[in-house]
Amino acid sequence: MAGRQIYNPEGFKNVERDGKVCGFEFQFKLQYYRGITLSIIRDIAVTIDGEKIPRENVFLTINGETFSLEECRTVVSPLYRWEFGEFGTVTVAKEGGLAKGPHHISVLQHIAPSYMPFPIQAVCDADFEI
Amino acid sequence: MSQIKRSVSLYSYQDSYYCGKLDLEGCLRETSKTGATGVELLAETMIKQFPNPIYTEEFQARWKEWLKKYNLTPTCYDAFLENHIYDNRTLSLGEQVEMMKRDLKCASILGFSCIRTLVSTPIDVIEGSLDYAEEVGVKIGLEVHAPFSLNSTWAEGYLNRLSGSASKYNYFAFIPDMGIFCKRVPDVLEDKWRRKGAQQKFIDMVNEAYADRVANGFTKIEYSLNLGEANMNYRNANGQARLTEIFKAEGASPADFGYLNASYTYSWSDPQDLIDNIDRICHTHGKCYNTHEDYVETAVAIPEVVEAYKKCGYDGYISTEYEGGEHLRDDFEVPDIEQVRRHQEALRRAIEG
Repeated sequence: MAGRQIYNPEGFKNVERDGKVCGFEFQFKLQYYRGITLSIIRDIAVTIDGEKIPRENVFLTINGETFSLEECRTVVSPLYRWEFGEFGTVTVAKEGGLAKGPHHISVLQHIAPSYMPFPIQAVCDADFEI
Repeated sequence: MSQIKRSVSLYSYQDSYYCGKLDLEGCLRETSKTGATGVELLAETMIKQFPNPIYTEEFQARWKEWLKKYNLTPTCYDAFLENHIYDNRTLSLGEQVEMMKRDLKCASILGFSCIRTLVSTPIDVIEGSLDYAEEVGVKIGLEVHAPFSLNSTWAEGYLNRLSGSASKYNYFAFIPDMGIFCKRVPDVLEDKWRRKGAQQKFIDMVNEAYADRVANGFTKIEYSLNLGEANMNYRNANGQARLTEIFKAEGASPADFGYLNASYTYSWSDPQDLIDNIDRICHTHGKCYNTHEDYVETAVAIPEVVEAYKKCGYDGYISTEYEGGEHLRDDFEVPDIEQVRRHQEALRRAIEG
């Protein structure tokens, strides 16, 4: 049994700024059936190895532009739709990034399409290695 | 000979598209291979940077070329009316009408004769867009999707406001989704919850309760701008709360409750509803969940629906909308191309038979 792929297996890595590891990033696809404006993203709640990441430390990059989750609330331009079937890159600010070796990530993708009586909350789990 | 025509909604190929197996042109090619002559598009799913490309000559030329190459007629454009595009307010009526007009315009550019608008669309927004719909010659089709139904106070609410002698009222219509004609819960749903741990005893109770609702008739959902509340009222009026209490008393597991709750997203209407409303039907969603090798759909009453349409001389499209993938994709590869092929063949047999 093999379900469809959510995460890009090549997308997990630490990110550096000014020569220092300041966080990590991953790429995953929207668990919905159409592209969306970033304004309907309610949350991307990241838990890494059991540690919950504060909302303000999570950033989403779409089409070369990076937005905090707070900024996503007003992003409605067609240029920055999260397209169906395409990876969005999530960057997590975390001093020192992730240690070499295996990790487990669990992300709640929470979006609110206008017509749905209840929002969509997709739990996306993966094991990966740095 | 029946004049009912066959179309495919590209919603059906979402899993192949998601995985990169099909692009937009690939979806059109597969549609053509099934023998369908019509295509239904979700622009927001398969046109990147929507709606910008639709306004360009380059995309318009490519779209026309594809339609010609694959011998397809554009049937329906699925609009979404994102009226909560900001989280702190609902768009004003004016903004919503503007959005509806944008979709009517896009549909018109791409050659569609109707748009699908969702069950959540406020009546005022349709009313405010009808002059423009008439101007561009594109009908606004309100989807009648489970748990909603024709011949209900919900549908009457729209009809009462959107009927009249003015010619613009000819541009309001219904798009029944065949998911409202589910005789039973799809087998792929039952199988999914069984994989998650639902026990046969509770599965049987859910299925029996569904059969009772089909036999005795569903209590219908009311028109409301508060969808969550309307939905819960509808579910409880149809026995969800009562069944939940029984499950609790008998020690049901979370998976048992999962199947119970999911079963309430399906519903049954009498196909006679189609005949009663035939003058107001511009298009039809051929919802399907699992069509077997013998071309029998697990839940949807295809023969009964097609029979009703034949009786009243429906000459529009039935557009395959395969949705079974949502119950498979966590565990298996979704056979969407094969499922669409089978469903088209099931439709062909019912229409030509």
